[in-house]
Amino acid sequence: MHVSFLQAVLIALVYYLGNGPWLAGVGYYTLYRPLVAGFLVGLILGNPVQGTMVGAAINLMYLGFISAGGSLPADPCLAGTVGAAIAIASNLDPKVAVALAAPIGLLGTLIWFIRMTVNATFAHVADRYAEEGNTRGIMLANVVYPQILLFIISVIPVFLASYYGAASVQTVLNFLGGKVLHILIVIGGMLPALGIAINMRAITKRETIMYYFMGFFLVMYLKLDVVSIAIFGAIIAYAVVISSRKERTT
Amino acid sequence: MREEMRSDESKKKKLSRGDVVKSFLIWLFFSHSCYNYERLQGVGFAHAMVPILTKLYDTKEDISAGLKRHLTFFNTEPNVGAVVHGLTIAMEEEKANGAPISDEAINATKTGLMGPFAGIGDTITQGTITPILLAFGISLGQTGNVLGPILYAILISVVIIGIAYGMWMTGYSQGRKGVESLVSGNLISTMVTFAGILGSAVMGALTAQFVSVSTPVVITVGVTSLKLQTDILDKILPGILPLSLTLLVWWLLSRKHSAMAVMGYIVLAGIILGLIGFL
Repeated sequence: MHVSFLQAVLIALVYYLGNGPWLAGVGYYTLYRPLVAGFLVGLILGNPVQGTMVGAAINLMYLGFISAGGSLPADPCLAGTVGAAIAIASNLDPKVAVALAAPIGLLGTLIWFIRMTVNATFAHVADRYAEEGNTRGIMLANVVYPQILLFIISVIPVFLASYYGAASVQTVLNFLGGKVLHILIVIGGMLPALGIAINMRAITKRETIMYYFMGFFLVMYLKLDVVSIAIFGAIIAYAVVISSRKERTT
Repeated sequence: MREEMRSDESKKKKLSRGDVVKSFLIWLFFSHSCYNYERLQGVGFAHAMVPILTKLYDTKEDISAGLKRHLTFFNTEPNVGAVVHGLTIAMEEEKANGAPISDEAINATKTGLMGPFAGIGDTITQGTITPILLAFGISLGQTGNVLGPILYAILISVVIIGIAYGMWMTGYSQGRKGVESLVSGNLISTMVTFAGILGSAVMGALTAQFVSVSTPVVITVGVTSLKLQTDILDKILPGILPLSLTLLVWWLLSRKHSAMAVMGYIVLAGIILGLIGFL
């Protein structure tokens, strides 16, 4: 399938909106996530169902995604938009899409680095406006200048990758053959472990590791789904909190 | 006498609810618009203070001093941490009405609180709520159900904006004592314990459901042939491979291997084990 000029522009806009401020600040929680980005890219390319499946698969890698203190371990939004575009255009298995999206996500940290570095210049522009007591200037320095920059550095690469990249990936994969596809599927199956482990680094402590095992084996043996684990987890967490509060008061 | 009191009243600078909400909306939209390595959210913070400063101060000099006060380094989790902004607004309001609050006091309050609320906030929003809702959306989406992404996007938006607004208003109405007791009191540690248990259980469930590692190896002894995966590993402990892999990655990360390096190991392991036919 060929990605048209207009479609590539729209995919690039999804990426910009996921990174930009215009969606009431929740762009980072919605379009930035491959699940949502994949669905929208699918919608743009005329196959929202496949887009959703691919986006969901790619998002597994970034389940535990945390960006803190200005660091970005990877760029889920780039992996989601470009990854879904490639997967739909080349009709790839979602697991293959995961393995292809992983390096794309790493490349995205470059865009982040440019943005975080150049934006520091606008902080100094804001200093000058503050000196004059110019409140409109603060708005310009916080919104207009950095967003022009972000628009340029996000729309151009995503447009190029979706417009030219999508079709060539299929040619390369066909050329490489089945063994490579198998390896990509193996890698794609393992990568979600990384996203989960990154999240565990942030929230799981020595005292709570047993709840991790509980969640794991409840799914393995009783075939419960994630939502029911969340409900039981919340009940147990509540019980623990209540009993520790009683201990403290007695 | 009565006349004097009345003129005193009218001199008192009072922020309306609209001013506080306007400031909140600027933060909600543009907190990370000019995110940068030098000040992080500093410029966004100053921008959010614009409606507050212009309402409270009349002279260009005072507004300029206020903007400079807030253009300093600032970084917190933008939603739970919004309590810091609410509190800052309350302090600015007192200051404008003559309370002896120095620039340093405002700055010290901001920098003192942004760290704890960043830690708590990241655990709650990015660490627990987002993965749980995502897992829900992904399990629907994997089968091609477009309600997965749509429901996820709606739910997470409502929750995040709700938390941010609630924390902002709490900070403004509770003042310094209230917010400090929030940090020192049990509430925060309770929330972290709660999120830690719930989040860990969900991570376990996600490992079981979404990490897929299995081996096609067949062991032939004489005439009987055993499938390593279904005949041996699954009998010992179902899901032993995805569980071991996730714990191994967790251990590597705690040993200061970067996420990027670990991704490299996984790719390398996939290539080697895939080529020799173990995976």
